[in-house]
Amino acid sequence: MISFKLNGQTVNVDAPGDTPLLWVVREHLTMKGTKFGCGMGLCGACSMLIDGVSTRTCIMPVQAVANRHITTIEGLGNPQMMSTLQNAWVEADVPQCGYCQSGQIISATALLSQNNNPSDSDIDIAMSGNICRCGTYPNVKKAIKNAAADLRNGKGRLQAVQVFDPTATASPETQEVQS
Amino acid sequence: MSVTEQPLTQNKHTLQNSSRRSFLKKMGIVGGGLVVGIPLTGCASVKFPNAMDGDLQPNALLQITANNDIYFYLPRSEMGQGVYTGLTTMLAEELDVHPGKINVKNVGAHEEYANPEYKLQLTGGSNSIRVHFIPLRQMAANVRMVIRQAAAQVLQLPLDQIQTDNGMIVANGKKLPYGDFTKVAAHLSLPEETPLKKKADFKYIGKHSKRLDAVAKSTGSAEFGLDVEFAGLHRAALKRCPVLGGTVKSFDDSNVKSLPGVKAVVSIFNGVAVVADHYYQAKAALPVLDVQWELPETLSDFSSDSTEAGNGKQLFKAALDSDESDNAHEEGNGRDALKTSDTVVSGEYWAPYLAHATMEPMNCTAKFTGNKLEIWTGCQNPGVAAKLAAFYGDVAKDDVTVHSTFLGGGFGRRISNDYVAEAVSIAKASGLPVQLIWSREDDTKRDYYRPASMAKFQVGLDKDGNIDSWNVKRSGPNILPYTIDEVADAMMPGFLPGGMVDWISKAGYGLFDGWTVDPTSVEGLFEDYDANHKSADHVTVDPGLPVGFWRSVGHSFSGFFKESMMDEVAILQKQDPVAYRLKHLKNNPRLANTLKLAAEKVGWGKPLPEGHYHGVAVHASFLSYVTQIAEVSVNNGQIKVHKVTCVLDCGLAVNPEIVIQQMESGILFGLTAALYGEITVKDGAVVQSNFHDYPILRMNESPDIEVVIVESDEAPTGVGEPGLPPIAGAVGNAIFAATGKRLRSLPLKLS
Repeated sequence: MISFKLNGQTVNVDAPGDTPLLWVVREHLTMKGTKFGCGMGLCGACSMLIDGVSTRTCIMPVQAVANRHITTIEGLGNPQMMSTLQNAWVEADVPQCGYCQSGQIISATALLSQNNNPSDSDIDIAMSGNICRCGTYPNVKKAIKNAAADLRNGKGRLQAVQVFDPTATASPETQEVQS
Repeated sequence: MSVTEQPLTQNKHTLQNSSRRSFLKKMGIVGGGLVVGIPLTGCASVKFPNAMDGDLQPNALLQITANNDIYFYLPRSEMGQGVYTGLTTMLAEELDVHPGKINVKNVGAHEEYANPEYKLQLTGGSNSIRVHFIPLRQMAANVRMVIRQAAAQVLQLPLDQIQTDNGMIVANGKKLPYGDFTKVAAHLSLPEETPLKKKADFKYIGKHSKRLDAVAKSTGSAEFGLDVEFAGLHRAALKRCPVLGGTVKSFDDSNVKSLPGVKAVVSIFNGVAVVADHYYQAKAALPVLDVQWELPETLSDFSSDSTEAGNGKQLFKAALDSDESDNAHEEGNGRDALKTSDTVVSGEYWAPYLAHATMEPMNCTAKFTGNKLEIWTGCQNPGVAAKLAAFYGDVAKDDVTVHSTFLGGGFGRRISNDYVAEAVSIAKASGLPVQLIWSREDDTKRDYYRPASMAKFQVGLDKDGNIDSWNVKRSGPNILPYTIDEVADAMMPGFLPGGMVDWISKAGYGLFDGWTVDPTSVEGLFEDYDANHKSADHVTVDPGLPVGFWRSVGHSFSGFFKESMMDEVAILQKQDPVAYRLKHLKNNPRLANTLKLAAEKVGWGKPLPEGHYHGVAVHASFLSYVTQIAEVSVNNGQIKVHKVTCVLDCGLAVNPEIVIQQMESGILFGLTAALYGEITVKDGAVVQSNFHDYPILRMNESPDIEVVIVESDEAPTGVGEPGLPPIAGAVGNAIFAATGKRLRSLPLKLS
């Protein structure tokens, strides 16, 4: 059993220690917002925040995240209550096919948590690990700037939902240990 | 050297029908308009999705419930291009409901979802907005009318006192939901020719209307094929022959069966699959699974690379230089006009094979329940997917249910349904519900690639240096032979026995005797510029690597070829590339207009920052007209694209923001191809495997892009693809301006 915090909630998972975190979250915990893209840490579709750092989870063994804090796209917000970046994404019409966008928003969240006034080049550096085949980069950049302005004006929050609701993703392998 | 090698046979069906392949091959099959004339056949009484009494459901596309919930069953596949929003906006306009109030559903297979132009449930060819622009609005206008008629009847008022506002009937100063009248309306006959709104009255079309799928796609809640989940679902990974078209001779699964989670190991038509509880378990088993392969004869000997010495390129070159060719187009005296030319300018260009590299790798979920088969996938033609699933699952077509999801990118890749055939075969052989997941490596190595192409132009000039004749010959594979089998079979009635389907298919091909060249092999090479005489010829050379529809299809290479050639001619004549192009666009005023506007926008000819150079390219495709001007610098052989200015005439822009996005998207997709894209083959196996050796443009490498849409009252035309074809030419031409080096091969590399 490996235990870690997922979107604020402690989970215990029975999976071999070398299983990539991505597949533990997608298949054992059936949370599908985080995507599989390349399996080599090259495209960023699988990005999650590990202790606040945008991390490629398709190559991150689950044993390496024991007792650490993981945040997925579902942990930032949901359709009823979106984070500032998610709102900015919608306002700027960012997604096209949409498949890479969970990873893009995770990386943007990590950036703005460190720097709420990023330059173009700060954004380029922070986002260069996330490939978008549809080429949404111009609107990704626009959305990040808009969200950063909201944060600077005290109007935003990088995480709209604080508590992970286990009933939303209940699976036999998920165990609630503490709330 | 042989230029008529047998193409690879890719699926079970074609393995059994190599004679048909030969036939197709000999015919040089065939045309983009191919499927248009054949009537769609099949069961005419398939029920509508989610049917409920009391609802108004005039067809399979629209449902208005008594609770005033409005459902739009989206007939085209949403893969990023924006039909989810664009088609809904068109429907909303005539139904008089805000687009955001409509529940849009991804749909399964149903004959009423056929693309009006292709007569198949196919999304591609940048035609969704164009071909639905009238029919969908007409349908919505008729439905709004029948609701008004029902309201008039119920409220006992004359029709002209029944108005509508955002899903409500407005009468006698009161507002009542459409749903109050659906029950009565359902029994009235639907009017047919209700007048449509005029442009000046549009509330939603042509205005900024937010993407309706943005919230789902920004919160991780949009469902893609890979996200399908249900109790008892297993995951599968498939080991295929390294050489495309190879089959299983024998296999030994003794090292695999005892591995954790592994539930079954099964051999299917093109490989051996491991079925396990989890994907990582199935994938981990593949390296220790021992398979002996039966290699296909032709492709195994094929190697290609980007160097002149690569035999891949030699095959194309030899074909181009041979006397063999079929004529695809001729005007005036054709090639004969070259004899009287004052000057002849020649140029030869090359474009490699390319993979689609959608972000979501191919996948399909399949589940048998007795004789019933369900599949879940995001694809560009669910009707064909259903037919293939029936064939590989050995069930009746009517017993197949397709559940469609969002597509994590399409770009033409998801027109082919090989992953459906695989998933169904694995589910059938293992007796387990399975989700087949392709790795990125699978996805890169098993594509229907953009065909590699070579072309030679001979442009005859008069004594004033103007173009008198434009002649071009292209060598390369044709797409249609690789895609026609799936499509033709899908059009046959499900109750016909297989043999008869085959016979009809063959008879059907006879309808296209008049075609000698696949139009997608030569499109874009000769149309745009004025010339007194024109010829376009084709010679097929096909090493056997499967090829398919790749965003903008033939235009993806012809835009680069033609615009590089035009630049070379202008520069040899010491004429300005913009002015020289305009001189030869007199019969192409809409394309000329985009060029004029783009040149004005960038201040063409005025000084740029130190070391920056402009290159221009124009190209018409999918009935739209595009000019792009790239601002480029070159330092120590490193090409940097700083800015791209794009002017587009696509008729009326239904959703201007999405149109701009599609231009940006086409430019960045095309820039990846222009700067990096290349699939090579070694002994029949694709060399590239993942994003380290098949790189995709990243944000830090992307230029600023400015898009201008020409104001137009013309009917809408394509936007998903037309943004792509000019970009490689624009960048190549800017590199020439910067360095004096003419790059005639893609990807663009200064060595």
